[in-house]
Amino acid sequence: MAAVTGLGGIGGVAPPAARLRARRGLGRGRWRELRWWRLAVLVVVGAYFLVPLYAALRFSFSTTTGGWSVSAWTSLPAAQGFGPAFLLSLRLALVATVLTVLLVVPAGLVVHLRLPRLRAVMDVATTLPIVIPPIVLILGLLAAAPPWLKATPYLLALEYAVLGFPFVYRSLDAGLRAIDHATLVDASRSLGGGWMVTFARVLLPNLRTAILSGTVLCVALAFGEFTMASLDQYQTFPVWIVNFDQSNSPQTSVAASIAALGVTWILLLGLSLLGGGRKRRPRQTDDAGGATP
Amino acid sequence: MTMVGRTLGRMEATALPHGGNGGTTVELLGLSRAYGSLRALDGLDLRLEPGELVALLGPSGCGKTTALRIVAGFEAPDTGRVLLDGDDTVALPPQRRNMGMVFQGYSLFPTMTAEDNVAFGLRLRKVSRTERRRRARELLELVGLEHHGAHFPHQLSGGQQQRVALARALAVEPRVLLLDEPLSALDAKVRVQLREHIRALQQRVGITTLFVTHDQEEAMSMADRVGVMRAGRLEQIAPPPELYAHPATAFVAQFVGTMNRVPVERRGDHVHLLGRRARVRPGSTVAGSAPAVALVRPEGLALTPDRHGEGIVTAMTFLGYVTRLEILVSAELALKVDRPSVETGGIAVGDAVRVELVDDDVLLTAAD
Ligand SMILES: Nc1ncnc2c1ncn2[C@@H]1O[C@H](COP(=O)(O)OP(=O)(O)OP(=O)(O)O)[C@@H](O)[C@H]1O
Ligand SMILES: [Mg+2]
Repeated sequence: MAAVTGLGGIGGVAPPAARLRARRGLGRGRWRELRWWRLAVLVVVGAYFLVPLYAALRFSFSTTTGGWSVSAWTSLPAAQGFGPAFLLSLRLALVATVLTVLLVVPAGLVVHLRLPRLRAVMDVATTLPIVIPPIVLILGLLAAAPPWLKATPYLLALEYAVLGFPFVYRSLDAGLRAIDHATLVDASRSLGGGWMVTFARVLLPNLRTAILSGTVLCVALAFGEFTMASLDQYQTFPVWIVNFDQSNSPQTSVAASIAALGVTWILLLGLSLLGGGRKRRPRQTDDAGGATP
Repeated sequence: MTMVGRTLGRMEATALPHGGNGGTTVELLGLSRAYGSLRALDGLDLRLEPGELVALLGPSGCGKTTALRIVAGFEAPDTGRVLLDGDDTVALPPQRRNMGMVFQGYSLFPTMTAEDNVAFGLRLRKVSRTERRRRARELLELVGLEHHGAHFPHQLSGGQQQRVALARALAVEPRVLLLDEPLSALDAKVRVQLREHIRALQQRVGITTLFVTHDQEEAMSMADRVGVMRAGRLEQIAPPPELYAHPATAFVAQFVGTMNRVPVERRGDHVHLLGRRARVRPGSTVAGSAPAVALVRPEGLALTPDRHGEGIVTAMTFLGYVTRLEILVSAELALKVDRPSVETGGIAVGDAVRVELVDDDVLLTAAD
């Protein structure tokens, strides 16, 4: 009975669960039509991704004489230079990503919340690392970087941070535009929240998915980057694969490429689990949680 | 109304959150704020008595939101001060002013449930978890949403979201409640119900409230006093009946309620209109002998059926106690006249009528 009183409160609107269902409503026929389209798109896109992968996988198990063998895979961990190159790439990817996030998130928030007029400038700035050829970027960096930095592979991490900046920024920007964060910040502050509290409790939970999806791209990019690393003459994993391919068995280097793909996937999976963990909380449409004791 | 009564009945049973010691005095003294060359506020003075609800009413862009944001501390005035119980707030950032604010757009934290939203301010004040929950539920009950505590904002209707926002603002027992067009995103029916609800709550809690709106009906129906703003200044502030009956300026007169603009003939300090002589009211804004029109309310005109009358009834709208008639007097002049429905029984569309002024004084403004 109390429930009726409560819902009848103001406006007499339908309970949310019912409204949600109504909103999702698609006629049966229309749904079926949609499903065919979805299936068709899925097949085409799936083929686009899976056919090359299948070819590579098949090749990695083949031998030059036309037989089958797992030797390319079993010899991989012991291959000359595999371990150091793999670890170097992993390390660079992590450093570059952390660097990018630490730079881009505060910058994005300041631009969005305090200096909205700079947003157009940022939009242009974020296209630069994409449109400028990597070779120009790296030559510029090599000319400008201090010698002590040039002596370490972390110069590459810096370069990857530059490359990753557009991806993290764009994704953050989309997240910031999706809802009115300026008002949320005002609301939090009027309730007594300082800047740190507002950032940690209000902004971050909203933007977590956006930041993580940018991060995912940044990791993938840094782990797979070839041009800059080879120009810089560091044996990152992609560079190692190419070198190894030229000097040894091509099957092993293809196996290594697939392994690299696998590692990236695992990283991405980990990150998106981190991001989705809380949002996937089941939608509570029952009233149990709100009932008075 | 029954809804409000029911909610109030329930409120009595729970310990009410209080704005402290029966309300705070708020004073805005000479507030000015410019954005570039645009003067959003131009010397705004306003005083709110403890427990009073003042509505700031004005056209879009007249500086209402700017005023509210300065009181909340989100913006700093170029000149002027805001006093709370006599103390200057200038050095206080918004998070230390202890003011509850409800925003025009939806402002609930999307990743938190309704209950967590309401408890947010309490959490920042280090209130214990059980106490937080108890208070949040109490507040949700106060706004009639005790069964929606576990819902996320996207699972609530617009009106429900604004009620949660109100509960959230009240939860911290603020000294002042600031409402920036909290109802403008809602549909008409919900808007009317929610404004009654807000008013009943505000009176029950006794919290000093500044309410910003551009909807005159909303302002007039809720507020103890209505301040009409124009171009960054307060044009007049008065209780609704006074504002309606005695608008201080032509701007206020036209902004509040419906007004007929009737051309007048000026003779010294008198005017002639509708075949009658009338005095000019103070507050009229026409210089010298410039062409002028009188501002006359629909109920400030009387009708007599008259075959030789110069007005023709072109429309009649039955509004319950009164009926509104549209009278075409000449090609340039159409008048709206409200008469009690009992008097209009003998009149039909197409009838000729004589229109007369009821009062013997009028407010003038420049003709355009
Ligand atoms: N941050 C800002 N930068 C520049 N101009 C601003 C800013 N905020 C407000 N203004 C200008 O100041 C004037 C007053 O704005 P304000 O938001 O106070 O109006 P308002 O009375 O609340 O209007 P509305 O009813 O449309 O909400 C407007 O002309 C607006 O364009
Ligand atoms: Mg406004």
